[in-house]
Amino acid sequence: MDNIAGTRSALGWAVNLSVLALVLLWLFPTVGLFVSSFRTADQIATTGWWKALVPAEQNLTLRTAPPETQREENGRYVIAGNLFLEDGREPAEISAWGISSRAIDAYRPGETAELRRGGTITVEANGDYRMESAEPFTGSRGQRVFVTAEIPPEFTLENYDKVLGKGVVKRLAVYALAALIFAFAVRWSLRDREGWLVAALPTVAGLALLVALSLVFGLSEGEAEGAQTTDNMSRAFFSTLTVVIPATVIPITIAAFAAYALAWMEFPGRALLIAAVVGLLVVPLQLALIPLLKLHLAIGIGKGYLGVWLAHTGFGLPLAIYLLRNYMVGLPRDIIECAKVDGATDFQIFARIVLPLSFPALASFAIFQFLWTWNDLLVAKVFLIDATGETTVMTNAIVELLGTRGGNWEILATAAFVSMAVPLVVFFAMQKYLVRGLLAGSVK
Amino acid sequence: MKHVLLAGAAALALTAGSVRAEQLTVFGPWLGPDQENVEKVLAAFAAETGHDVRYVGSDSFEQQIVVDAEAGSAPNIAVFPQPGLAADMAKRGFLTPLAEGTAEWIRDNYAAGQSWVDLGTYEGPDGQPHLYGFFYKVDVKSLVWYVPENFEDAGYEIPQTMEELKALTEQIVADGGTPWCIGLGSGGATGWPATDWVEDLMLRTQPPEVYDAWVKNEIPFTDERVIAAIDEFGWFLRDEFVAGGRKAVASTDFRDSPKGLFTSPPQCYMHRQASFIPAFFPEGTVVGEDADFFYFPAYEGKDLGKPVLGAGTLWAITNENQAAHDLIKWLQKPEAHEIWMGLKGFLTPHKGVDPSKFSDPTLRKMNDILLAATTFRFDGSDLMPGAIGAGAFWTGMVDYAGGKPAAEVAAEIQAAWDAIK
Repeated sequence: MDNIAGTRSALGWAVNLSVLALVLLWLFPTVGLFVSSFRTADQIATTGWWKALVPAEQNLTLRTAPPETQREENGRYVIAGNLFLEDGREPAEISAWGISSRAIDAYRPGETAELRRGGTITVEANGDYRMESAEPFTGSRGQRVFVTAEIPPEFTLENYDKVLGKGVVKRLAVYALAALIFAFAVRWSLRDREGWLVAALPTVAGLALLVALSLVFGLSEGEAEGAQTTDNMSRAFFSTLTVVIPATVIPITIAAFAAYALAWMEFPGRALLIAAVVGLLVVPLQLALIPLLKLHLAIGIGKGYLGVWLAHTGFGLPLAIYLLRNYMVGLPRDIIECAKVDGATDFQIFARIVLPLSFPALASFAIFQFLWTWNDLLVAKVFLIDATGETTVMTNAIVELLGTRGGNWEILATAAFVSMAVPLVVFFAMQKYLVRGLLAGSVK
Repeated sequence: MKHVLLAGAAALALTAGSVRAEQLTVFGPWLGPDQENVEKVLAAFAAETGHDVRYVGSDSFEQQIVVDAEAGSAPNIAVFPQPGLAADMAKRGFLTPLAEGTAEWIRDNYAAGQSWVDLGTYEGPDGQPHLYGFFYKVDVKSLVWYVPENFEDAGYEIPQTMEELKALTEQIVADGGTPWCIGLGSGGATGWPATDWVEDLMLRTQPPEVYDAWVKNEIPFTDERVIAAIDEFGWFLRDEFVAGGRKAVASTDFRDSPKGLFTSPPQCYMHRQASFIPAFFPEGTVVGEDADFFYFPAYEGKDLGKPVLGAGTLWAITNENQAAHDLIKWLQKPEAHEIWMGLKGFLTPHKGVDPSKFSDPTLRKMNDILLAATTFRFDGSDLMPGAIGAGAFWTGMVDYAGGKPAAEVAAEIQAAWDAIK
């Protein structure tokens, strides 16, 4: 009698623990990625993201000013300056330094070292240095100085500026705040009214303000550092939206009709049809890539948005139909029979009764389909991206970043987070339906 | 619709007697800095001829070009990093032979012209050999990169022979450093840097005839001479010789690997990689000052001369149109080579170019290595059939770096080769 509703299962703690483990499993890398996207390349290279808030000891290779800047003082040649400023960095506290790559911490600040090519160098704790020699310094470059310094924690929006364009994140945040305030104001002014339209109005008004602000004042402050990357990313972003939205709407529309027919309309071969749909669930889509592409080319669709929509629709339909059919079959038979007795046609039952009742299942499938078309690379590569390079998707743009900036973790983390942002918003906005819909068809 | 319009415009232009402009799509393996470079070259072609040229790069070129060709959505021109893959595709009828007279031109205008013609000539679907590929952009692979100031700090000399190189490797370990940075990661092509190592060592342990026979599989992978070359590479893979230890080799990206030369303190002192690698050095690195290279030396005791391993990219027509032929024709002009010479990481066998157009003196130094070579051999894995040179050999070397014995790895690669015969 353990499983009666209202009593707690003895294994409750096990469930809680595994939920906690799963949550941590997801949060750990995601938070890491998020923190990394605000750090500089040097910081990422020296300490883990969990140390982002404490000052880190870093080994830097800096250079003095080149010999051409030397002056003569009392018969001695002198080069002086600040190592950090020379390198375009913020000054920091040096704890040790050296002039040979074999002994990078040979000297304390304030000590003087003999240069191999003659002369001496003194480095102070704040990075000020002074090179002196009786002979003129030669060569085209300054002396290398290895310093160990405490670099204070530093967070930067530069990575986002590089990926999205200068100032995009900052401006987007300001616009979003304004839109949020506006939405609350609208809601407050409409607080006494009721109705479906009134409830949606604040959201619509907020979104409209967001779009209007972005259009009027623009998102970017101008030419960004990685102009090519930036251009690619924003283009890829809209391209992905163009792929994903129809690729989510089309299968849901078709699947809802099909699921109703399979659940509530009597016709010969229905059971076989359902079995076929279930069977199709296990067919790997990789099997169909080349034949389907050949078909698209033969009938003149070619590579493009239409092709990728159709492909996503086809690959998404079996699960969509299966999920929705199982949910619809669980709706109370009485309601539908009552409607039939009252003379409702199948279309009326579908549109007026079944569709509104199936909303959680529709929403949960929409989230699924949205997430995996958003994250898809394979289908887009095969059906969308052609040799003209006019179309691309976010995932492909990130892979290209990986190809060209394999070592630039800060850029990769940022790009990954930019591509995650939209699915995260969709997920958090609709997650209550996801939980409800996940149970669709499993419990009656 | 666009095609109809373009065709209409082209027909109109033709009747008007002017040059007809077409859309030309070029698909290649270059991304990032190299992509910007090739786009500059293609932009010059577009400006001169009026064609609308598009370049798309991919780091899984080898897989994607096959999918596109099979489905019939191939680009007009594909830039193959590997002749072996191009040969496969020619055999299956996916490539269009180059215009008459191209072979003669290459023979007359490229240094060692005949060998470049041979490398681009494959059996077509009709069983007859045709010239399918035009070489543009050559790389020298037998180079070891190092940071001169780090060598100075430690008092190391540049090794002139393989014996000295091995002694230096041991010396660095004795001094408490790590000699080598080796990374095999490369997306879908993971493993290829190791095949270069094995080929370079093959040329340094066996005469070139053995190398040629191996590349054609006349002597099998399981031959003891091949296994010895793989184990020779294994000597460099010892835990204490490689930054991060042997385990890190397969998982380190080849583009990240050279960055270890520039860290403080240096993670490693030497990095064996082809002439294109400066594109992946940290920003602001000046080749010749911050970093330099020396010839990956040969054994003094083996008397095999100074072998040099090289590679090149081969431009082939995968979807014929007039613009594609125009581009191949245009690439024969010295200016087409000089544009990229003025940028980064470009070598050319074209005899008619002006060497002063090289952007930095190090490229000329590389050309000298090319000229000083007593033996020049093309990258063997690029000549092997695609399934081996762009497949089993790569994965085999990843397994080897992971600790599998050379004999087992060789047997697996040979089995894969037997399977496609």
